[in-house]
This record gives sequence, C-alpha cells and structure tokens, in this order.
Amino acid sequence: MALTETRPEIDEGTTPGAERPAATSLERLVGTGDHLSNGRVLIGFALFFLALSATGLTLAALDATTTDGLLGGIAEPLLTSSLVGLALLGVMPLLVGLGFYLVPLQVGSPSIAFPRAASLSLWGWLVGAALFVLSVVLDGGIGGSSDDAARIGSLSLGLVMVSLALGMVCIATTVLSHRPLGMGLARVPFFSWSMLVAAPIWIMTLGSAVAHIFVGHVVDADAAGLAANFEGGIAWMLRAPSVYALAIPVLGIAADHVGHTTGRRLAPYGLFQGAIAAFGIFSFGVWTQNEVAGQTVVWIAFVVLAALPVVAMLGGLGDVLRRGRVPAIAALGALVLAHLLILGAVLAGALQALDTAGSGNLFDLETGALTTAQLLFVVTAAALGGIAGLVHWSPRIFGSGVGEGLARIAALAVLVGGAILATVMLVQSIAAADGRGGLDEAALYGISAAGAALLTLGVVASLVAVLGAARSSYDGEADEGTAAGGTLEWSAAGVPVAGAELETPSIRSPYPLFDLRDGTEAEGSN
Amino acid sequence: MADTTTLAVRPEPLLPRRRELLFGTAFGTAGVVMALVTLIGTYIATRDAAGAAWLAENDIPLTQPNMQLLTLGMSAVTMQWAVWAIARDDRYHTYMALGVTLLLGVAFVNQTTFLYSYAGITLAQPEGPLFYAVTAGHLAMVVAGIVFILLMSFRALGGQFSSRQPDGIAAAALFWYACIGLYALIWFAVYVQK
Repeated sequence: MALTETRPEIDEGTTPGAERPAATSLERLVGTGDHLSNGRVLIGFALFFLALSATGLTLAALDATTTDGLLGGIAEPLLTSSLVGLALLGVMPLLVGLGFYLVPLQVGSPSIAFPRAASLSLWGWLVGAALFVLSVVLDGGIGGSSDDAARIGSLSLGLVMVSLALGMVCIATTVLSHRPLGMGLARVPFFSWSMLVAAPIWIMTLGSAVAHIFVGHVVDADAAGLAANFEGGIAWMLRAPSVYALAIPVLGIAADHVGHTTGRRLAPYGLFQGAIAAFGIFSFGVWTQNEVAGQTVVWIAFVVLAALPVVAMLGGLGDVLRRGRVPAIAALGALVLAHLLILGAVLAGALQALDTAGSGNLFDLETGALTTAQLLFVVTAAALGGIAGLVHWSPRIFGSGVGEGLARIAALAVLVGGAILATVMLVQSIAAADGRGGLDEAALYGISAAGAALLTLGVVASLVAVLGAARSSYDGEADEGTAAGGTLEWSAAGVPVAGAELETPSIRSPYPLFDLRDGTEAEGSN
Repeated sequence: MADTTTLAVRPEPLLPRRRELLFGTAFGTAGVVMALVTLIGTYIATRDAAGAAWLAENDIPLTQPNMQLLTLGMSAVTMQWAVWAIARDDRYHTYMALGVTLLLGVAFVNQTTFLYSYAGITLAQPEGPLFYAVTAGHLAMVVAGIVFILLMSFRALGGQFSSRQPDGIAAAALFWYACIGLYALIWFAVYVQK
C-alpha cells in the first residue's frame, strides 16, 4: 500500500495540539458526505416540493373553474410545471432520499458509494428545484411567456435531472459493490434490489431528456421554442411506458414491508425479484420518444405487459399477508393500494396503446388527458409508496415511529386525492373523444381541484408526521425497542451513527436477522 | 524514533471497495451514452427532414473522419493493453500503454479541430448548432476520457493499482471504449451519410 494514501495526522506548520475552530451545524450539514444526513435532508425537501407542486396543481385547477381566471396567463404553464414538479421535484427525490438513507444500511455498509457525489447530487437537485420554482413564479417554467424565465426553468430542470441521475449512480453502486460477504444479488433486500433495477432505467431516461434540454438551448432558446422542445423531446418520459419507472421502488418497499410486518420470509425470493426486474424492463421507454415507435406492436406489448409483474407482486404479497394475519396498519394498506394505482396507470397506458396503434384512431380518445392520467396514477402510487416507506422505516430514520393516526390521514388523503385526479383525467379522455362532447369543464376542474387539494393535504400531513417523529427523537423520546425485521437495516435499534461499522451477522439467506431469530442457519434457503 | 512509533500504530488505510469505481463509471457512462445517442438521433431526424439542402454548402471530406476513427480504433488496442498489463502487475507496460492511449486521444482532439476549421460550418447556419451539439458533445466526452485516463495514470504511478486492485484502469477503459463506440456511430451517421 502506498504511503501517499495515508493522510498525515499533523500538517506541516501546524502546532500540535492546537485546536481547530469547530464547524457550525450549518457547515456540518452542507459539507457532510454522510448518507444519513443527506438522505434526511433530501426526504424533507422532496416532501416540501411535492406539497408545493400539488398546491400548484390545485391553483391551476381552481383557475380553470372560473370564467375570468384567477392567475391570468400563468395558469397553463403552472399546470404543466406542477405535473413535472410532482415527478422530478417530488416523488423521484423522495425515493432517492430513501435510497440514500436505507440502501447502505440494508447492505450492511457504513457509507454510500461516492459520498461526495451523493452530496453533490443532493445540493445540485435542491438548487435546481429552487430555480425551477423561481422560474415558474417569473412566468417561465414550462410554457411560460418570459424568455429569460423559461431558459432558467429549462436549465434548472436539466440540473435536477443530472443530479437525480448522479444520486442513482451512487445508490446502485452501493448495492453492487458494498455488499458483505455472503450477500449475493439474489439475497439483496427488496428495496435495494428495486433501486438497483430502477437505476439504469432512470439514468438512461434522464440522460436522454437532458440531451433534449441541451438541444432546446442550442437550437431555439426562446420561450415558445423551449415549450415546443419540451413537448417534442421530453414529454415522452412522463407517459407510458417510461412513467412506470417512477414506481419501481414502490414494489421493493412493499415487499420489504410485508416481510417485516408478517415476520415471514417471502418465497420464492427470486420470483419477487424477477417481478420487480420485469416491471423495470417493461418501463424502459427511451426508445418510444419517436412517434413512429408509439404505433408499434412492441410499444403496445411493453405498455400492457407491465401489468403482469404488478399483478404477480400483488398476488404474492396478498398471499403472505393472508397467512400472516397482520393488523390493518396505514403503511401496509397504502402499499397494497399503490399497486392498484400502478395498475390504473397501466390501464390508461393500454387504452392509449390500443387507441393509437396502427391507424391511430380506434377509440378517438383525448390523448392529452390520457397521458396526464398515466402520470397522475404513477405519481400518486410513488408518493404513497414513498410515504409508506417513511412510516415503516421511521424508527431507523428519525428514531421514533410516526403516529398511526396521522399516517392514516396522510395515506388516505394522498390516495383519495391522487386517485380522484387521475380518474377524472381518465374519464375525461374517454368522454372528450370525437363526437362525445366531454364532461362539463367547470365540474371537471372543480373535482380536480378538490382532488389536488386532498393530495396537498396528504403530503403536508406526512411532512408534519415526519417532522413530529424527528422532533420526538430530538427531545429524547426515541423508541429504543428492537424492531423484528429480517434485513440488515434492523440489526440495531434507533437512529444509526454516521460511519459506524455495522455488526453484520453471517449472511446465509435474504433474511439474516430472521436466521438469527429462528436459530437456523438456513443454508441455501433463498 | 518517535516517527517510527507513529507509523507503527497508524492503522492501515482501507482498501477501496472492489469494483466500486468500475460500477460507478458504468452507470455514469450509460447516462452519457444515452445523451449522445439522443443527440445523434435528433441530428438524423432533423437532417432527414431538411433533405438535400443539409450541409450542401460545406465540404466535409471523409479522409479526416476515417483517420479519426482509425486513431480511436488504435487507442482501443492500447487501452486494452493497459488493462491487460495492470492485471499482470506489469507496471512498465501499463505506463507505456496509458501514455500511448493519451497520445492518441490528444491526436484525435487535434484532428477534430482541424476538421472543424476545414469544414467551415458556422453556428449561424441552420445545420451548425446540431452539428456541433453532436460532434463537440462527443469531443467533450473524449476530453473527459483523456482527463480520466490521466488521473488514473497518476494514481497508477502512485502505486494505487495492481492485479489486486485494477479498477481505476478498467473504469477508464470502459469510459474510453464508450467514446470509441459513439464515435463509430457519429462517423457513420454524420460523416458517411452526411
């Protein structure tokens, strides 16, 4: 080993024993590469921006219910920007934040891979998200009329995408290279596995979208040009099948939660992993950005077949739950219902696929509302899954559990609000088809506004619940009881210490802690 | 004496996680490749829409792009030579192979700048922004690859890589091969098909 790798304990010219000024808490927060701290910050801000985007959606829908409009010209850009915000400023970073925090713990690693890059990802995303919100306020965002603000909006979206992709690189690398001896890929916990499946798909999807943002800036960088560039070059990632990718980690969270709550091993483990991987494969949609690709049989197959792994997961988890006789807890119910929302998205995708395939006008559906329905179904499922994950792992993230009452309110509001929004869009896409006239627009937007308001309420409730749990821990009311999980993140109680090496038991199955509990070696039991 | 004691009690530095850099580079490269492929696809779609007028007023000889492809092709061999050598703890050949790869990379940059000045494509003409988005985007990737190889070369000189820990060289090689593969695509889509 080269001596150059060893950092000198004492710098030349420094008096031994001289005290350095202690870093302030802000300096520690901003300068840290600790995955626990970065994960918590990312989760907190993601919930904040998720609530903000849902509020934007509510305002835009309210505006549409009035004849004169409340917001003037920015209502339409606000609607589009809010929809994009739900995905890129809300659910994606929420799931990445969970990945930052939990994936190293699940694979028994004291740190995330490339901790400084993970830190860069967090702060890059935060700056990008703040700039995007600013650009929306300045009549930019997506579809705004101010050239400068639209440029800021487009560039900030690029920064957000690059940052999220960088975060996923760190998470996926952690899964692949930080596993302890004995934990082959077939024994990786489900949430880590789902993040590993999601990583290449998100990275490639975001990479392609960033290229379109670049093209928009070098070819036609005024407000109208950038709006057209978004519609022609980036909107594909927010419709089937690409949009399904947002929900991949939800399947992993659900499987881990069911295993933990029932205290049972999910078997055959490989089948569940295979279902998550299959859903990932069917959600890879970079190749569908060309309109011609959207009229092929392969596209229809991708969009429709994505339902199979979700149904398989639902059936498998339902069977384990039936045998486990678990109490009705909010997070578990939310995760099961999130699967139904994903199936709703697949239904909307399938309708579009059948409608636009071949000649392109089988049902004469209204495509815009249909793609919005797909996005809303998936975003709601992902938000529900992320919030349920937060509730489930809150003893390890915040040191104390989230109150069940507040968790139920949050889950119910997000579920009902998101489902109303998405279903209204789905119904409108059918009702607004040629010759059918559509629904009464004022009523439609009124219901949408109510749904969006409920969604906002749910996200705010979850933010309050999370802050409450964090505060309880800060006030010394931390729950020190040992949770009976089967995977490595439950190997100690309370909030983990940054950089501490975990005591990793011998890994002989996907559930090493169940092995310890049962006193079985479970040789080859995966 | 005191120094000796200090060195004796100092804990050994941890070995980097095996293949961490390689996996990280693979994921990062996937994103970059997808971005470049998207740019190339956009270029092709725009060119097809423009028809015969596309780059009609510019002279782009094929000789220069052919030489560039050959240069990068040769660098693929030398890069693999470096990977092969470090896997066998052959430090002399590792340094030599990395040096030649860097030389070929710099030659590619030089050839590209020559082609730019020869073809005379300007940003003001309709084809200019997309042409440079694709080719200069790739050029930036090659420069990043050169910097990557240079950094790994310095680390190799510092003794950080060996047959037990060859990841840095392998990661740089992976990125470099992606540069070469993408250039082959650009060579065909931009220069051969014009």
